[in-house]
Amino acid sequence: MILKSRTARGEESKRSVSNGRFGFYLALPSILVLLILLAIPAVLTIFQSFFIVPPDGVGIGEFAKGDNYLFLFKNEIFWATSLRSIWFALIFIVGSTVIGMAAALLLNEKFFGRIVLRGLLVLPWACPWLIVGIIWKWFADGNIGLLNGVLLRLNLITEYKDFLSDPSWAIWMTAIAATWRQSCLVALLLLAGLQTMPREIWDAASVDGAGIFQRFRHITLPWLRPALTVVTVLNVIYGLMQFDVIFAMTQGGPGSSTTLLSFLIYRQFFIFTNFGIGSALAVALALIALVGGLIAVKTLYRKIEV
Amino acid sequence: MESTENGSSSNLNMDRRTLLKSMGVAGLASAPLLNTGMMSAAEAAGQTINFTAWEYQPDTIKSLVATWSKRTKNKVNISFIPNVGYTAGIQARQRGGKPADVFYNFAYNSQKFVNQGWAADLRGLRGADKMVNEMFPSARSRFVAENGAIVSAPYFSAVHMLQYNKKMVAAAGFNGTPNSLQETYDQCKKIKANGVESPYVAYWVKDFVEEYLHVYLLAGNVTPFDKKGDPIFMDDPKTLDVLNWWQAMYQDGMTPKSVLTDDPGKHTSSMANGEAAFYALHHYFLRDIVESKGPSSGDISQAKIVGTGGKTLQMGEVIQLGSKVSGAKKKAAWDFMKTYGYKDNKGQFTTFQKWAASGALCAPYPKFFTDPKVVAAFPKYMDLSLIRDTFQNASDIVPARTLPWYQGFQAQCGTIIHDLLLGNSNARATANALAIACKTAKSGSGL
Repeated sequence: MILKSRTARGEESKRSVSNGRFGFYLALPSILVLLILLAIPAVLTIFQSFFIVPPDGVGIGEFAKGDNYLFLFKNEIFWATSLRSIWFALIFIVGSTVIGMAAALLLNEKFFGRIVLRGLLVLPWACPWLIVGIIWKWFADGNIGLLNGVLLRLNLITEYKDFLSDPSWAIWMTAIAATWRQSCLVALLLLAGLQTMPREIWDAASVDGAGIFQRFRHITLPWLRPALTVVTVLNVIYGLMQFDVIFAMTQGGPGSSTTLLSFLIYRQFFIFTNFGIGSALAVALALIALVGGLIAVKTLYRKIEV
Repeated sequence: MESTENGSSSNLNMDRRTLLKSMGVAGLASAPLLNTGMMSAAEAAGQTINFTAWEYQPDTIKSLVATWSKRTKNKVNISFIPNVGYTAGIQARQRGGKPADVFYNFAYNSQKFVNQGWAADLRGLRGADKMVNEMFPSARSRFVAENGAIVSAPYFSAVHMLQYNKKMVAAAGFNGTPNSLQETYDQCKKIKANGVESPYVAYWVKDFVEEYLHVYLLAGNVTPFDKKGDPIFMDDPKTLDVLNWWQAMYQDGMTPKSVLTDDPGKHTSSMANGEAAFYALHHYFLRDIVESKGPSSGDISQAKIVGTGGKTLQMGEVIQLGSKVSGAKKKAAWDFMKTYGYKDNKGQFTTFQKWAASGALCAPYPKFFTDPKVVAAFPKYMDLSLIRDTFQNASDIVPARTLPWYQGFQAQCGTIIHDLLLGNSNARATANALAIACKTAKSGSGL
């Protein structure tokens, strides 16, 4: 009996090694593509952030030690922009997760027209970020924008308001525009998660007297944890890297009210042609995203015990 | 230093002044060459030119390229990069080892591209001196660097003009358009009192507001930079008047609050629909207003920004020759560039005639304005002689705008000017902040 079991384990082990190797070979082309497209540029960016790179991009230039980082850390524009980027990302992450979750829960229910609505969910996601920015620029326009018309009819405003030219509103409006697109992706991912949840668990909880909020809190949310982790990490990345929507809506203005770190990176690379500082900024942004992602994973991810 | 096509390098070390002086002589000497076709067709046929442009009227570009290709038996591969992101796109291609042989560029990038070895100095190429010599004197410094290098050829040129609603101005009791910035404010105030909520519109978005800084400084008789390209505007008391005027226009509601983010399409609609009385932007925007056929389109006319006495900004973008092109290909590429930015082999402004017809764009050559085909092609509702006079006598180019560091200043201008308009800063602090922005741009330490 013991011998048989060992033999069985040995066969299992050999098979799993063989399967693992086969899996690795299958994944190898993707790993190579990722290495070329992501790892090499990332390493190069980190490397360049310690150098004064010539503007023509030929050669690596003079070693600057940590001067590029020191320049950033001493610059108040960097700190103000970093805080603004984090604020923008927070609105984006919370907004798209909450709206996406609500949409997913709604579309998981059976009602007439559900299939059409599920299809429509893909439309905003199919729009490039830049187009989303252009659409929302007109939507939020202070003279002819539909948003003002709706708010006026709902008596939420007394006269047309130009949200994009008001520095305190511009960051909200650009974040909401970006949220509009992202929440559709969130809804799709969470809906996929909800579809895998056995209906019986909900029914059993109902029979045991659990209310709708209790069921959501103790059944749905834990069930969606893996999907929520992925969604939140994606939201952190998209929120912090946002550029196109703002570029189309406000170009970082009015003043510097919507200027994010991604704008400073663009400026350093293509306007000041200062690759060293641009790379240092990119590394700083990546670190912020990494910290945000880690917080998300730490908070949401739980190992599933089977 | 760029090697020259005809082997002569005698003028390579001239400064701009010497070069411009000698151009008259050089131009006369090379005139016969122009009319006989500066490049023999057999000399450079069968080449393939890689041409990169942004997407303004791509069909017109294709037709211009096809005409040249047919004539010279050379092939042109056109590649379009969207206007938004062109700067990044063209630089990425240069750095990535896929440089174009001939390419559009923003004037403010032109010297930088030559300095970085991405674009060629055109000195010594046949007809280059003559091309510069035939330009309006005020336009030359956009194409000729301080060290005498010819960095680019014109793609198009324009002057900032005031598009105005004749009926609204007359109804407010004025005989003509304003002759000063203060008069502009006064007329707006009166027109506003007549019921036009935001009489003045302009493209004051963050990335474009720097152009208006010069439009208004020139209108206020302020010289922004000295001959070395150092800022001097901050020391001129008139600068504060200009900045105070600008702030008052926004704060007192002469412009819509949304002017900080509105694009030209919206301003065109405002003018065409009778929602604004003045629109300050490039002369060719009158075409958009009139051809949009709004209820007030027929009432819109054009005038100088501040009437007869003042100056305005002359602007324009450029085409450049890639620095890696050589031999017969270089001859072909230069011939293409000349046809595109100057004249064809028969001495005709064929390219500019087409741009005049399709977009009311101008060229910085006096002869362009008297060319019968241009006159015939230009929209009839536009006063070509007024535009010519503005080019010739009432506009300036602000040579510093093409210096290699300038884009760094431009990038910082938006935030500084917006802060002024929003009331977060005053004229004195703004002038100082702009001067500091120049300094940081020059030292490459801006963020």
